[in-house]
Amino acid sequence: MPFREKSAWISLLSISLIYGLYFWSVVHAGPHAGFHFGSLLATVIALIVAQVVLHIVVAIAAPKEAKAPRDERDKLIELKATRIAYSGLATAIACACLFGALDPPIVFNTNALLFVLVTAELMRTSCQIIQYRRGA
Amino acid sequence: MTQQDLADKIGVTRQTVNAIEQGKYSPSLEAAFRIAAAFDTPLEGVFHYSKD
Repeated sequence: MPFREKSAWISLLSISLIYGLYFWSVVHAGPHAGFHFGSLLATVIALIVAQVVLHIVVAIAAPKEAKAPRDERDKLIELKATRIAYSGLATAIACACLFGALDPPIVFNTNALLFVLVTAELMRTSCQIIQYRRGA
Repeated sequence: MTQQDLADKIGVTRQTVNAIEQGKYSPSLEAAFRIAAAFDTPLEGVFHYSKD
Protein backbone atom coordinates (compact mmCIF):
# COMPACT_ATOMS: atom_id res chain seq x y z
CA MET A 1 0.00 0.00 0.00
CA PRO A 2 1.51 3.39 -1.00
CA PHE A 3 2.23 6.00 1.66
CA ARG A 4 -0.42 8.39 0.27
CA GLU A 5 -3.10 5.71 0.59
CA LYS A 6 -2.01 4.99 4.16
CA SER A 7 -2.20 8.73 4.84
CA ALA A 8 -5.75 8.82 3.45
CA TRP A 9 -6.72 5.86 5.67
CA ILE A 10 -5.25 7.65 8.71
CA SER A 11 -7.31 10.76 7.91
CA LEU A 12 -10.48 8.77 7.26
CA LEU A 13 -10.27 6.68 10.43
CA SER A 14 -9.09 9.45 12.76
CA ILE A 15 -11.71 11.93 11.52
CA SER A 16 -14.47 9.29 11.69
CA LEU A 17 -13.55 8.26 15.22
CA ILE A 18 -12.71 11.61 16.81
CA TYR A 19 -15.40 13.75 15.14
CA GLY A 20 -17.78 10.81 15.52
CA LEU A 21 -17.32 11.02 19.29
CA TYR A 22 -17.75 14.81 19.18
CA PHE A 23 -21.00 14.65 17.18
CA TRP A 24 -22.25 11.78 19.32
CA SER A 25 -21.75 13.99 22.41
CA VAL A 26 -23.52 16.89 20.66
CA VAL A 27 -26.53 14.72 19.76
CA HIS A 28 -26.53 13.15 23.22
CA ALA A 29 -26.54 16.62 24.87
CA GLY A 30 -29.78 17.50 23.10
CA PRO A 31 -30.88 20.36 20.80
CA HIS A 32 -30.85 23.05 23.50
CA ALA A 33 -27.39 22.30 24.93
CA GLY A 34 -25.73 25.09 22.95
CA PHE A 35 -22.29 25.25 21.39
CA HIS A 36 -19.27 24.30 23.53
CA PHE A 37 -16.09 25.79 22.13
CA GLY A 38 -13.91 23.87 24.62
CA SER A 39 -15.25 20.54 23.44
CA LEU A 40 -14.58 21.44 19.79
CA LEU A 41 -11.07 22.68 20.64
CA ALA A 42 -10.30 19.40 22.43
CA THR A 43 -11.58 17.50 19.39
CA VAL A 44 -9.38 19.47 16.99
CA ILE A 45 -6.29 19.02 19.21
CA ALA A 46 -6.98 15.27 19.57
CA LEU A 47 -7.33 14.98 15.79
CA ILE A 48 -4.05 16.83 15.13
CA VAL A 49 -2.16 14.73 17.72
CA ALA A 50 -3.63 11.45 16.42
CA GLN A 51 -2.82 12.27 12.79
CA VAL A 52 0.72 13.47 13.54
CA VAL A 53 1.53 10.40 15.68
CA LEU A 54 0.08 7.94 13.15
CA HIS A 55 1.86 9.63 10.22
CA ILE A 56 5.16 9.46 12.15
CA VAL A 57 4.62 5.72 12.82
CA VAL A 58 3.87 5.04 9.15
CA ALA A 59 6.82 7.19 8.02
CA ILE A 60 9.19 5.29 10.34
CA ALA A 61 7.98 1.99 8.84
CA ALA A 62 8.61 3.19 5.25
CA PRO A 63 10.89 6.27 5.33
CA LYS A 64 11.75 6.22 1.62
CA GLU A 65 8.09 6.33 0.55
CA ALA A 66 7.28 9.00 3.11
CA LYS A 67 10.07 11.28 1.89
CA ALA A 68 9.14 10.92 -1.79
CA PRO A 69 7.15 13.84 -3.19
CA ARG A 70 3.68 13.27 -4.63
CA ASP A 71 3.90 12.09 -8.22
CA GLU A 72 1.53 13.05 -11.04
CA ARG A 73 -0.91 10.21 -10.27
CA ASP A 74 -1.09 11.17 -6.59
CA LYS A 75 -1.84 14.76 -7.60
CA LEU A 76 -4.53 13.66 -10.08
CA ILE A 77 -6.18 11.42 -7.48
CA GLU A 78 -6.15 14.28 -4.97
CA LEU A 79 -7.64 16.70 -7.51
CA LYS A 80 -10.44 14.28 -8.46
CA ALA A 81 -11.24 13.59 -4.80
CA THR A 82 -11.25 17.30 -3.97
CA ARG A 83 -13.57 18.06 -6.91
CA ILE A 84 -16.07 15.42 -5.77
CA ALA A 85 -15.90 16.57 -2.13
CA TYR A 86 -16.31 20.21 -3.21
CA SER A 87 -19.46 19.29 -5.15
CA GLY A 88 -20.86 17.64 -2.02
CA LEU A 89 -19.88 20.61 0.14
CA ALA A 90 -21.35 23.16 -2.29
CA THR A 91 -24.60 21.20 -2.55
CA ALA A 92 -24.90 20.95 1.24
CA ILE A 93 -24.20 24.68 1.72
CA ALA A 94 -26.74 25.59 -1.00
CA CYS A 95 -29.31 23.40 0.76
CA ALA A 96 -28.46 25.08 4.09
CA CYS A 97 -28.93 28.55 2.54
CA LEU A 98 -32.24 27.50 0.98
CA PHE A 99 -33.38 25.90 4.22
CA GLY A 100 -32.36 29.03 6.16
CA ALA A 101 -34.30 31.29 3.77
CA LEU A 102 -37.49 29.33 4.46
CA ASP A 103 -37.46 30.43 8.13
CA PRO A 104 -36.96 26.91 9.50
CA PRO A 105 -38.12 25.65 12.87
CA ILE A 106 -34.62 24.22 13.44
CA VAL A 107 -31.66 26.58 13.12
CA PHE A 108 -28.80 25.38 10.93
CA ASN A 109 -26.26 26.00 13.69
CA THR A 110 -22.46 25.86 13.94
CA ASN A 111 -22.41 22.14 14.66
CA ALA A 112 -24.54 21.37 11.62
CA LEU A 113 -22.20 23.39 9.38
CA LEU A 114 -19.22 21.66 11.00
CA PHE A 115 -20.88 18.31 10.26
CA VAL A 116 -21.16 19.30 6.59
CA LEU A 117 -17.48 20.28 6.52
CA VAL A 118 -16.37 17.04 8.19
CA THR A 119 -18.57 14.99 5.85
CA ALA A 120 -16.95 16.72 2.85
CA GLU A 121 -13.49 15.83 4.21
CA LEU A 122 -14.59 12.23 4.70
CA MET A 123 -15.86 12.21 1.11
CA ARG A 124 -12.47 13.51 -0.07
CA THR A 125 -10.41 10.89 1.76
CA SER A 126 -12.86 8.11 0.81
CA CYS A 127 -12.62 9.07 -2.88
CA GLN A 128 -8.81 9.03 -2.62
CA ILE A 129 -8.84 5.53 -1.10
CA ILE A 130 -11.31 4.22 -3.70
CA GLN A 131 -9.13 5.54 -6.54
CA TYR A 132 -5.97 4.06 -5.01
CA ARG A 133 -7.76 0.71 -4.54
CA ARG A 134 -8.92 0.73 -8.17
CA GLY A 135 -5.40 1.55 -9.29
CA ALA A 136 -6.68 4.59 -11.20
CA MET B 1 14.42 -3.77 -14.84
CA THR B 2 12.00 -3.90 -11.93
CA GLN B 3 9.00 -1.60 -11.50
CA GLN B 4 10.82 0.11 -8.63
CA ASP B 5 13.92 0.70 -10.81
CA LEU B 6 11.79 2.28 -13.53
CA ALA B 7 9.82 4.28 -10.97
CA ASP B 8 13.06 5.68 -9.51
CA LYS B 9 14.36 6.55 -12.98
CA ILE B 10 11.26 8.47 -14.09
CA GLY B 11 10.39 10.00 -10.71
CA VAL B 12 7.08 8.32 -9.88
CA THR B 13 5.99 5.69 -7.37
CA ARG B 14 6.13 1.94 -8.06
CA GLN B 15 2.32 1.89 -7.79
CA THR B 16 2.09 4.40 -10.64
CA VAL B 17 4.32 2.25 -12.86
CA ASN B 18 2.13 -0.74 -11.99
CA ALA B 19 -1.04 1.22 -12.86
CA ILE B 20 0.48 2.26 -16.22
CA GLU B 21 1.44 -1.36 -17.00
CA GLN B 22 -2.06 -2.56 -16.22
CA GLY B 23 -3.59 0.14 -18.43
CA LYS B 24 -5.45 1.70 -15.50
CA TYR B 25 -3.60 5.03 -15.64
CA SER B 26 -2.51 7.04 -18.68
CA PRO B 27 0.72 8.88 -17.88
CA SER B 28 1.39 12.50 -18.80
CA LEU B 29 3.29 13.14 -22.01
CA GLU B 30 6.36 14.07 -19.97
CA ALA B 31 6.26 10.80 -18.00
CA ALA B 32 5.72 8.85 -21.23
CA PHE B 33 8.84 10.44 -22.76
CA ARG B 34 10.80 9.66 -19.59
CA ILE B 35 9.73 6.00 -19.76
CA ALA B 36 10.75 5.81 -23.42
CA ALA B 37 14.09 7.43 -22.57
CA ALA B 38 14.63 4.93 -19.73
CA PHE B 39 14.35 2.10 -22.26
CA ASP B 40 16.30 4.10 -24.87
CA THR B 41 13.54 3.61 -27.40
CA PRO B 42 11.10 5.89 -29.24
CA LEU B 43 7.72 6.66 -27.66
CA GLU B 44 5.84 4.36 -30.05
CA GLY B 45 8.14 1.53 -28.97
CA VAL B 46 6.60 1.66 -25.50
CA PHE B 47 3.06 3.01 -25.96
CA HIS B 48 0.40 1.96 -28.46
CA TYR B 49 -2.85 3.77 -29.10
CA SER B 50 -5.96 1.66 -29.37
CA LYS B 51 -9.44 3.03 -30.11
CA ASP B 52 -11.08 0.25 -28.05
